[in-house]
Amino acid sequence: MARDFYDALGVSRDADRSDIQRAYRKLARTHHPDVNKEPGAEERFKEISEAYDVLSDPEQRTRYDAFGEDFRRVSPDVDPAQYRQSRARAGAGAGPAGGGSRWSGGSAGGGVPFDMGDDVDLEDLLGGIFGGGGRRRAGWGPIPGSDVEAEVEVSVEDAYRGTHRSLTIDAPGGPRTLEVDIPAGVVDGQRIRLRGQGSSGSGGADAGDLYLIARIAPHPRYRVTGRDVHTRLPLAPWEAALGAQVRIDTPGGPATVTVPAGTSSGRRLRLRGRGLPNPRGKPGDLYAEAQIKVPSSLSEKEERLFEELRSVSTFDPRSAP
Amino acid sequence: MSTPTSYALGRPYRLSLDSYARLSGVHPDLVRRFLALGLLEVTKDSRGDLWFDPTQVRALARIQRLHLDLRLAYSALGLVTDLLDRVSELENAQRRQPREGGPRWT
Repeated sequence: MARDFYDALGVSRDADRSDIQRAYRKLARTHHPDVNKEPGAEERFKEISEAYDVLSDPEQRTRYDAFGEDFRRVSPDVDPAQYRQSRARAGAGAGPAGGGSRWSGGSAGGGVPFDMGDDVDLEDLLGGIFGGGGRRRAGWGPIPGSDVEAEVEVSVEDAYRGTHRSLTIDAPGGPRTLEVDIPAGVVDGQRIRLRGQGSSGSGGADAGDLYLIARIAPHPRYRVTGRDVHTRLPLAPWEAALGAQVRIDTPGGPATVTVPAGTSSGRRLRLRGRGLPNPRGKPGDLYAEAQIKVPSSLSEKEERLFEELRSVSTFDPRSAP
Repeated sequence: MSTPTSYALGRPYRLSLDSYARLSGVHPDLVRRFLALGLLEVTKDSRGDLWFDPTQVRALARIQRLHLDLRLAYSALGLVTDLLDRVSELENAQRRQPREGGPRWT
């Protein structure tokens, strides 16, 4: 693996075993694919596990410190005594490179090693969920991989028409690019399942699934709830008072709304079926909310006409309930 | 003339390993085991001494309760406490959201 093992665990090179184990435990449980659904989590978990496998074993750690990344390829003749020891340890038990059952307490040199009680099983839960990660688990059959979730943001227009995306996700074998069709009428929070694209299984078992969670991107004009689309409909005072046919943009293209006479701000006009389409049933509706706008500056004539309207009209907007 | 110096205005209230263990009612070796399992937050100074925030007394009490009452292994408790924290964070966030908080402009 390209990354330095100490970097992977976020510890300094002079960290003691207790520090290394603490860092590993915390990272492993936040990046385990059953806890963390992000696509890169499996990759990161394997990296952490491999780093811990090496650094938790004093012999392997010494060789890693001495020989660096390629320490496994260095000929055993370089340091035969150490090499023999590490071989003997690796073959001795099923634990992770022999590091499971003894612990040195405390900081460098000061602690007394002690055995763990029977109630603490160090290899439970988080240890070696994956096959090829350097951890061996005897006695387990094939275990399917866990599911992974990723979010994909689509615009309101793309949600209306459907779209095509190519996504790159981090995977243990290197980044993988997926071509995904996002169907028309996808709603916010909808999960799109891509079978077999999740974490890889161990022992020849199936991989988990990748779930893409659709998120409708914020839009300057539209607000989407479910399949219904809400938008604002700016109106001139006379259009609102007298009624009008107004052109309005919808996700599916322009449409015409009939504004009834006597429309006040806040009134919602429904355009049935002009919301997001539904592949299995009725499409959503489009709601246009009337908003009366007035010119910020009036011409002389406009002002005169408004003043005339004021003197003629008996309408009091504040008297109505 | 004057050498620039910077001192912390107040010394943070922290517990040494021994006083932490005494307050929590456990042996310091058990605290070290918890540390190795990543169950507690700790800071290490330049001399290698361990210092605990007082909040960690409650954290250890929760670990002991879960271990004794539900017979959970210590090694499992890191995950369990992480998840419990996540659940309560989400529950808090959900409670803070208005129930029928008008439509969201997206």
